[in-house]
Amino acid sequence: MSTHVELPSYREQAPEVAARFARLQQRPVALEVSGLTKKFETPRGVVTALSDVSFSVHKRELMCVIGPSGCGKSTLVRILAGLETATAGELKVYGEPVSGPGPDRGMVFQGYTLFPWLSVKENVMFGPKMAGKSSFTAEREAREWIDLVGLAKFENSYPHQLSGGMKQRVAIARALANQPRVLFMDEPFGALDAQTRCKMQSYLLDIWKNVDITIVFITHDLDEAVFLSDRILVLDANPGRVAEIVEVPVPRPRSEQQLFDPTFMATRKHIDHMMHPPGQEQKEAPVLRMAVADPDVI
Amino acid sequence: MARPAILRGWFLIRRDLPHGRRVLLTVVSFLLPLALWCVVSYVPWIWHPDVKIELSAEREGVTTVFTAGDHVSREFFPEFVEAVRQENAAVLAAREAGTPGSGAKRKNQKLLRQLAPLAVEQGWLDYTDGQNDAVLYHVWRDLATGARTSADPKLTPENLDIVRRNWAVMSALSPDFSYKQLPDEPLLKIVPQGMPANPVYLPAPHEVFRAAKRDFTAEVPTGELTMGQRYRQSLHIIIAGFLWACVVGIPLGILCGVFDFFSKLLEPFVDFFRYMPAPTFSTLLVAVLLAGDAPKVALVFIGTVFQMILVVSKTTRLLDPALLEAAQTLGAKPRQMITKVVIPGILPNLYNDLRILLGWAWTWLVIAELIGVKSGLTEFIETQGRFRNFERVFPVIILIGVTGFVTDQILSWLHGLLFPWAGKSGNFSRAVASFVSWPFRMVAAGARERIAASEMSTPEVRRNEAS
Repeated sequence: MSTHVELPSYREQAPEVAARFARLQQRPVALEVSGLTKKFETPRGVVTALSDVSFSVHKRELMCVIGPSGCGKSTLVRILAGLETATAGELKVYGEPVSGPGPDRGMVFQGYTLFPWLSVKENVMFGPKMAGKSSFTAEREAREWIDLVGLAKFENSYPHQLSGGMKQRVAIARALANQPRVLFMDEPFGALDAQTRCKMQSYLLDIWKNVDITIVFITHDLDEAVFLSDRILVLDANPGRVAEIVEVPVPRPRSEQQLFDPTFMATRKHIDHMMHPPGQEQKEAPVLRMAVADPDVI
Repeated sequence: MARPAILRGWFLIRRDLPHGRRVLLTVVSFLLPLALWCVVSYVPWIWHPDVKIELSAEREGVTTVFTAGDHVSREFFPEFVEAVRQENAAVLAAREAGTPGSGAKRKNQKLLRQLAPLAVEQGWLDYTDGQNDAVLYHVWRDLATGARTSADPKLTPENLDIVRRNWAVMSALSPDFSYKQLPDEPLLKIVPQGMPANPVYLPAPHEVFRAAKRDFTAEVPTGELTMGQRYRQSLHIIIAGFLWACVVGIPLGILCGVFDFFSKLLEPFVDFFRYMPAPTFSTLLVAVLLAGDAPKVALVFIGTVFQMILVVSKTTRLLDPALLEAAQTLGAKPRQMITKVVIPGILPNLYNDLRILLGWAWTWLVIAELIGVKSGLTEFIETQGRFRNFERVFPVIILIGVTGFVTDQILSWLHGLLFPWAGKSGNFSRAVASFVSWPFRMVAAGARERIAASEMSTPEVRRNEAS
């Protein structure tokens, strides 16, 4: 399928979008990553997973990190969350250097990672209780977050009784209940079916609109990245390094109709080309000959 | 031709059977061995190559002695009976000829004891008292006069006749036992009696049930233990040994599973130690802990604890590490990660591990009860087994089996009650769980409300005080 419509350059921004980016630049820097490098010792020698990755995310920005598989985007987010240590480089949250995991940086995993022995409410209460809040306070706060993700009816259910989308909403509520300064999401909707994923993306934007939170979102889905992001960090593979940081020219508020906007398609095409340069496409799959040709199958 | 519906669908590869059929097969799985046991025991031509001797006799000039309870082959038994009959015929012939032998007092005393197994079986004599000639003398008298009859084993008419003939000779000399008053002439020997038997000493079901009824309800002389007391003694040893193993094994197992330090420090040695058979320490344990229950409890402990450490540490390591990472990003400190994530997370699997390990503990019980001073159910099994009273042994073995099985079934059912979140419990056990936990939840809710009230009221109070 090829559309021979001339797309505008993704760099062309409507005035209100340009103004918005200008305002974003004025905000304080929530997360600053500089010179992040990660090397793994393997039997075959040292493998560089991330090489000198630097970027910054502003307060209340939603940034997606995208890249071909093996580019180290999961490693990057795990380092940012403090679950792995970097070989070199520095990480600052609102100007303060951090190392190791901490409640200031929340994380939503692809595999939900809800505690199966706790009910929805108790899962969401986990963070506040770790922070030393009383059961009563934690429960009151948890209820608000559960309301926010629309699961009030299920607060006493156990995770195994919920669908994948509901589980991920609980995981988001659980991360937010800790009121982290930055929220990392590692392909959170990767395990969901296409329809649920669409819904969850809209949900996430709704939540983001209502909550004071900065989000770094890892994905390998182009549409998801363009649909959600203010800016997209495109990673190169082998070694993983920043290829480009793309400002998404699609105006907010976003809706599914925008999937076919020229700005949306231009951005999508640009990133697609960056990740899969033309000429490097795979050769066509060999055709298996049918004994009897079927004219209805072309 | 289509097969009827009842025959279809029994053998589907990797497919569950419907509920009704599952229940049916479960019942059959117990009935089948029982039926097999009955068939082997009661159908005479199936598997009875032996004769179990009920009443035996000693033959002149033959050194091989058979006692009651021995098995002989079916071919040999008639030969044995015939030999005794011929000896009796010779005695009678001599008596008819007017030349009865003499000097047979000693042999006659032994001959009287031929009825001892019968007297024991009938409960007229204790099995340890087989040479109580005074009682046996009266057994002869009562059987001859018909004051007592033996139902099991039932005396053949031939033997009843012999009893009467002998009693006629004996009673002429003395009404009560006295070695000096025993006849000097040879008496007639009881002809051997036996019943068809299998060669593995497998008693018939009715014998086992009868023995069980008798042993489990029997009044015992003072100083000996009733079956109930023995059962409690055995349960005490296994529970104490297992609990001690839990107290030591679970914390160590969890530590090994959580910290590589403890894993590398403890597990290699534990892995080595568990291959040393626990019973080999029995003499050491008795020497250190002396007689009594302590060495037995210690044996169950040693037999269980090393396995427990390894199994628990493995279970702990199987916990999804992503849960720990999630807890970390939520601000959990190392201690909280153990108490709030590791322990609750492994509980259902840990519970199942303990169920399996409790089964192991049962196997150590029998050995534990044999060391030092024999005790409990095993002492009974040992003693009765030695006397070849296998019909009295089997009920106790079955009792142990039933106890283990029932315990495991109850624990398995409780799993659903205790861990509803593991998602394996049925609606029924979930309902019971919610019913059982209701009062606790109410108390907790009440407490929460009180805290809420106090949190709300505190500022009020302060404001009032200020004004």
